[in-house]
Amino acid sequence: MFGDQALALVVESKRSSQTDTLYKYNDQLVRNVQLEIRTLQSDLQKTVGPDINALTPSQQVLCASTMYHIAIRRNKRCLLAYHAHRLERLKHLYWSVGGALPHILTDTEIRSKLSPHEVDFLRSYNASVSDIRNEVLDVLDLAQGITVPPRDMRVNVVVVRECGTVQTESGTFAFKLGQRYQAARSHVEHLIVQGYLEVVP
Amino acid sequence: MDFSDSTLDDHLFGIDTDENPIARLIRAWIDERHAPDLLVFQAALIDDLMQKLHEQGLVVSALQSDESTTEEEHLRITLVKTDMERAKFLIRSYMRVRLHKIEKYAAFILQTTEEQQKLSNAELVHAQRYQQMLANHFHATVLDALPESTHALDQTFPDGTSMITRPDRDHPVFVHARVPCPDVLLPDGDKITLEQGSIHLLRYRTIDTLLARGQVNLV
Repeated sequence: MFGDQALALVVESKRSSQTDTLYKYNDQLVRNVQLEIRTLQSDLQKTVGPDINALTPSQQVLCASTMYHIAIRRNKRCLLAYHAHRLERLKHLYWSVGGALPHILTDTEIRSKLSPHEVDFLRSYNASVSDIRNEVLDVLDLAQGITVPPRDMRVNVVVVRECGTVQTESGTFAFKLGQRYQAARSHVEHLIVQGYLEVVP
Repeated sequence: MDFSDSTLDDHLFGIDTDENPIARLIRAWIDERHAPDLLVFQAALIDDLMQKLHEQGLVVSALQSDESTTEEEHLRITLVKTDMERAKFLIRSYMRVRLHKIEKYAAFILQTTEEQQKLSNAELVHAQRYQQMLANHFHATVLDALPESTHALDQTFPDGTSMITRPDRDHPVFVHARVPCPDVLLPDGDKITLEQGSIHLLRYRTIDTLLARGQVNLV
C-alpha cells in the first residue's frame, strides 16, 4: 500500500536502463497500481466525506487527506514515468534499426514484450516520422545511422543473418550466409543496422 | 547570395559571412548539440545545401553513366561522393538532434508561441502529432483506469514542479567568442567581456542572445 508497488515499477525501469534491455510490459503490476489509486481515492472520499464543505476541516481530516493526495499523485507519477520510459526505449529501438517498423513488429521476441497500446504508439510514431523523412528522401535518409560519420564510400560486409536476394542501388546481391561482399555503404546501410550484415575490415 | 535577416545581422555585428555553407552547417550542428533548448531552424542554410546536394547527385550519376568518363575522373567522382555523404551525415545528425529535443519538450513548445517560431513547418506538425499520440497513449494505458480528478497531464504542483518538462536554461555550456563581446551580464550582476577567441564556461541563459546573433558558438 501507499506506493510500494509503484516503486517496483520505477525500479524495473531503472533496471531496464542499467542493463539496456527491454522488459516485458508488466500488465499485472500496472493494474495493481491503478487499483491502489482507486482504493486510495475512495478512502480519501470517506475520510473527507462529512467535512467536504467545512471551511476549517479538523486537523485529523486535513492530515489524512494530504497523505492520500500525495500517495495518489506519487502513484500516478510512477505509472506515467514507467510508460514514458518504455516509450523512450521503443523510440530508441525504432531509430537504431533505421526506422524499419516491420523489422521490430515481426520480431516475435520483441513483439511479445510490447503491450497492444505500445504497438499502436509505434505505428503512429512511424507515420509521423515517415512524413518528415519523405520530405527529404530524394537527397538523404534521416533514419540512417548518426553514431559513426562516414569514412569510406565502400564497405566490406559479411552476411551474418540469412536475408536472401536483395535489390540495392549498387545492383542485386544474392547474399549467402558467411560470404563477404563489397558494396556502397549508403546502399546497404539499412541491412547493417538491422543486423543482417556486419562490417569487416 | 540571399541577404536574409541573419546575414544582415552578421554584417551589423561584424561577423565574417564568406564562410562556406558546410562550415556554417558544422557550427549550427555543434551549437544545436550543445544547447539545452531548441535553436532557430537554419531553414535557408539547409534548403540551400539540400538543393546543392540534389544537383550534385544528378551531375554525379550523369557522369558515372557516361562512357567517356576517364579512370581519373571516376576517382574524383568517388571523392565528391564521399564528401556528399559527409555533408548528408551532418544534416541528418542536425535534424535528428532537433527531433529529439522537439519530442522531449513537445508540450512546452506547443504552449509557447515563441518556441514554435524556432521550428520548421514539418517539425511543428510532428510536435503536435507527437504530443497527441503521447497523450493518447497515457490515457489508454494509465489514466482511463483512474478517477476523473487525476486525468490532467499539465499540472503544476504546490512545490513548483510541473508535469511539463522545460529546457534547463541554467545548464552550463562552453562558449567560444567569435567576436569581442563586451558587457555580458552574469546572474550575480557582474559584467564581463568575452575576448575574441576565448572560451568560457557560463550558464546558457547568459549567452543565449549572443548565440542567436552568431557572436559566440558553443564548443
